Amino acid sequence: MNTKTPHIIKRVVTASSFLILLLGFAIVLGISMGSTDSGIKDIFQNLLGTKEPDSMLYTIIWQIRFPRVLLAALVGAALSLGGLVFQALLRNPLAEPYILGISGGSAIGAIIGILAGLSRFPGVTLTAFTGSIATLLLILAMSSGQTILKKDALLLSGVMVNAFCAAVIMFLVSITQDSRLHNIIFWLMGDLSLGDMKHVGILAATLLPCFFLVFWLSNPMNLLLMGKEMAQTLGVNIKAVTFTLLVATSFMVSATVSYCGLVGFVGLVMPHMLRLVFGPDHRVLVPACIFGGGTYMIFCDLVARTFSKQGEMPVGVITAMIGAPLFIYLLKRSSR
Amino acid sequence: MIIFRYITVVFVIAILPLILLEPIAAAKTVTDQLGRRVTVPNEPQRVVSLAPSITEIAFALDQGHRLQGVTTYSDFPPEALKLPKVGSYVHLDLEKIVALKPDLCIAIKDGNPRVIAQRLESLKIPVYVVHPNNLETIMKTVLEIGTLLNAKDQASHLVKNMDLRIQRVKSLVAKATHRPRVFFQIGVSPIVSVGTHTFIHELIVIAGGTNLASGSISYPRFSREKVLAFSPEIIIITSMARKTIFEKVKAEWEKWPNMPAVRNQRIYVEDSNFFDRPTPRLVDGLELLLRLIHPELVEKIQ
Repeated sequence: MNTKTPHIIKRVVTASSFLILLLGFAIVLGISMGSTDSGIKDIFQNLLGTKEPDSMLYTIIWQIRFPRVLLAALVGAALSLGGLVFQALLRNPLAEPYILGISGGSAIGAIIGILAGLSRFPGVTLTAFTGSIATLLLILAMSSGQTILKKDALLLSGVMVNAFCAAVIMFLVSITQDSRLHNIIFWLMGDLSLGDMKHVGILAATLLPCFFLVFWLSNPMNLLLMGKEMAQTLGVNIKAVTFTLLVATSFMVSATVSYCGLVGFVGLVMPHMLRLVFGPDHRVLVPACIFGGGTYMIFCDLVARTFSKQGEMPVGVITAMIGAPLFIYLLKRSSR
Repeated sequence: MIIFRYITVVFVIAILPLILLEPIAAAKTVTDQLGRRVTVPNEPQRVVSLAPSITEIAFALDQGHRLQGVTTYSDFPPEALKLPKVGSYVHLDLEKIVALKPDLCIAIKDGNPRVIAQRLESLKIPVYVVHPNNLETIMKTVLEIGTLLNAKDQASHLVKNMDLRIQRVKSLVAKATHRPRVFFQIGVSPIVSVGTHTFIHELIVIAGGTNLASGSISYPRFSREKVLAFSPEIIIITSMARKTIFEKVKAEWEKWPNMPAVRNQRIYVEDSNFFDRPTPRLVDGLELLLRLIHPELVEKIQ
């Protein structure tokens, strides 16, 4: 079946280039603002090299803010894409890694990894991945049969998985006096503050193949949404596609969780917003989620680190404050 | 367009190390308390303290003028409040630290996130890590910070004075015939006390008391029932300025008149700053504890 019509290529390119422009703008804004007051003018003079380079400003821009902005972009892209994939596979507009409890599961894995003294990569990422796969299997088992189509059953099981994960996390935190968990509160609400170029490089190397894989499977995702029989007749290997997508998504989510903790609702906000603008075609939505999700996360992180004079807050606070009301709105609308 | 930007970025990142590798004038290499080799300037002028205790020690050595930044809760001495803040000691703001252009950061092992030290070092800012966990290592820390800040004389004077006061308490306690059971409460809800591997435990023991919460867990939690079963002779509650809450906690214990501490009216609310920071002020805390645990010994000398 010839799906790569010039028409779709044009739409993909238009949407992507628009969002890449937006992402570029977000990156520039992201490295121009921070907890210290260096004027935007100074920064541009520095960027353009029209002024005598100030090594402190260089360090702040390129070694502190820039990696952080890139980290935010990667995390936002991965989580938005995660939401998009889950919404398509479970045919549920409210599905999202955080709401389903998959982020919580990988957080448990990550904490166990941290307590076991493993390195951030690959150790903690792998334990986080194990945790997320375990919760994913749990959710799939719970929603097996026909109930998978029922929104309420899926959401309720997600709420319960989340409650269970929160309890296990609190359990692990309260049985340990480990100073490595001092930062746990920040980490649990999503913390991007300590990313450096090495983290960004590793995370990018982990996530980019997943991005391409999901993009490659974006047309089968379209067909899957038309119904399983339909997809099968059109030559989609349902099992293989579903399996690949679920594993890739869980892996992306656990990689972001092990670096930045729990950032919720990004996978809900972005796919919905982008679907409103660009329509339901996943070939457009996948790249749109990657660039748009990154942009959204950079803006959220910017608010998180500059809003309060008391010091920065976890970025998950901002994403939840935007995402949770939207979730309630979507739930209300879909139940009508 | 975007390609050019990325090329610029890559280029800048590539030349950055060259910019940062300026020769450091008059530096020496020392070993910190974690056994790491750190190259520090001989005369550090822009020091950022990453914990309230380090700020206190620097000021106690008359080296407050070298500090360029401190953490949020660095409230002692009052001069420290005027210095720029770089976040709380568990959640430091890297950007603010770098913006102060420090030539030396002093960190503590327990509390400061390990990654912060790594990040600062990758930005060519030397980080000296201290790990004071009892009176002896606190004195060692004072001496080392004295060496770092070129205040060796002040440091040895300060440590001599601390040692003298500790010995005086010890010689007084040697005359005590009874070691009262002390419950030292540092947390309200849940009730938290201090185990054997804390400096508060050490202070209680030197001041001639028995720490009811001694054990391998550093900050054990207790139920009210368990505390009543301990039958403490003295309860010491430490507060961080929220005095009213702690007065309520005191009133709460006073509902149990059979407890020796209540019967003899020996429940005290004290300022936690004397007890929870590894600084020379801990000796003030020790003398305070002696007055609370063995008032009879103190009265004798006065």
